[in-house]
Amino acid sequence: MNESSRPMNEMELLRELAQQTPLPAPAELAAARARLVAAIATDPATYATAVAQVTTDQPAPSPGQPAEPPRPPAPAPVQSAARFMYGGAISSAVLLIVALPFAGDVKGNVLGHRLTPTPLIITLVILAGLAVIGLWLWMARVTTQGRNWARILSTVLFGLATLELLSALEAIGTNGVAQAVITALTWLSGLGAVWMLWRPASSAFFKSARAARSRAPSQISGP
Amino acid sequence: MRRRRGSAAADDDAAVIESSWREPERFAVLFDRHAPHIHRYLARRADRQVAGDLVAETFLAAFAKRDRYDLGYADARPWLYGIATNLVGQHRRDQTRQYRITQAAPAEPEVPGHAEKVAADVTAQAMRTLLAGALATLSAGDRDVLLLIAWEQLTYQEVARALAIPVGTVQSRLHRARAKVRQVLAGTEAGATYEELTKNE
Repeated sequence: MNESSRPMNEMELLRELAQQTPLPAPAELAAARARLVAAIATDPATYATAVAQVTTDQPAPSPGQPAEPPRPPAPAPVQSAARFMYGGAISSAVLLIVALPFAGDVKGNVLGHRLTPTPLIITLVILAGLAVIGLWLWMARVTTQGRNWARILSTVLFGLATLELLSALEAIGTNGVAQAVITALTWLSGLGAVWMLWRPASSAFFKSARAARSRAPSQISGP
Repeated sequence: MRRRRGSAAADDDAAVIESSWREPERFAVLFDRHAPHIHRYLARRADRQVAGDLVAETFLAAFAKRDRYDLGYADARPWLYGIATNLVGQHRRDQTRQYRITQAAPAEPEVPGHAEKVAADVTAQAMRTLLAGALATLSAGDRDVLLLIAWEQLTYQEVARALAIPVGTVQSRLHRARAKVRQVLAGTEAGATYEELTKNE
């Protein structure tokens, strides 16, 4: 069959008509590109990159000082995870305050029967609460430094927090609804943090941070 | 086309997006690479002025969710076309809503087929009235599939990825859309014009 006399079908007709729309001139895209560049400039990772650039532009350490390996900036999901962890620290602090009146009510969890609140028990509860808050803050710090073990430890701790949530829900009648709600909020902070820590961008960050650390010794020992 | 992780060419779209996680300014490379074609697609479906806004919103949305991009796909075009198509749909709904608001007071006159008119309006800028009218009779989903394949030359798999639907749905929508366009064109006064156009003589 002669190609020129073959009837066009609707797809070919559509394609032919579409050819009438030319590609845009660069000027037509300038405004869109400017909006994107403005969004890039305000992205947290851009700020982190700039900070890292300033850091790497610093003079080399003196021979006696160990060189700090250049660290890739934390991407947005890791920074979000850190924010969730700060939120977890705050809700843990609130939980500690709310839980203080029940400090003597450690039945079953420790010795299997109710204890009388004593200064020692109250001190231990406060110390445990402070340790939890410190753990949140520490995890937030080391995950933004790209430590993969911190990501794994955070996930394990989240598993433990899930068990704590279940026991808190069981104890609603004993310790009050407020404590259970705050425990649930704390758990949600952990959920958000773990979710963000395992995003693809986060995984790439932890991987590149590990690679940067592994390169560091050769840089230090180089000429 | 899906590729194995870790086998990225140094400058394919997936590699650019991955590097933009740490260096956001790298995302501009993706804009320079694909924005002209996305703009042309939007200009065909809306109009040229609206296309300028929509292409900006497409890349802003893509930039905002770049950390969710599946690096298994080296080519980001279907992802970008998917975002652009959603924005066109949103734009069309906004236009229809605006049209209804302006028609609401004092008494809403009977406007036969105004939704079709709106759909035709946003496509007629880039197409002849004949085909715009036929396209306006399609459902939004069928039209998206037809135009991504006919205009942007995406494969079934790429359209499926862009619209987040199964490949089988792409095929059935395309079949339905083509049949409907043929039917509409053949059944209107423009049918003779269509016949002339399709002779390609």
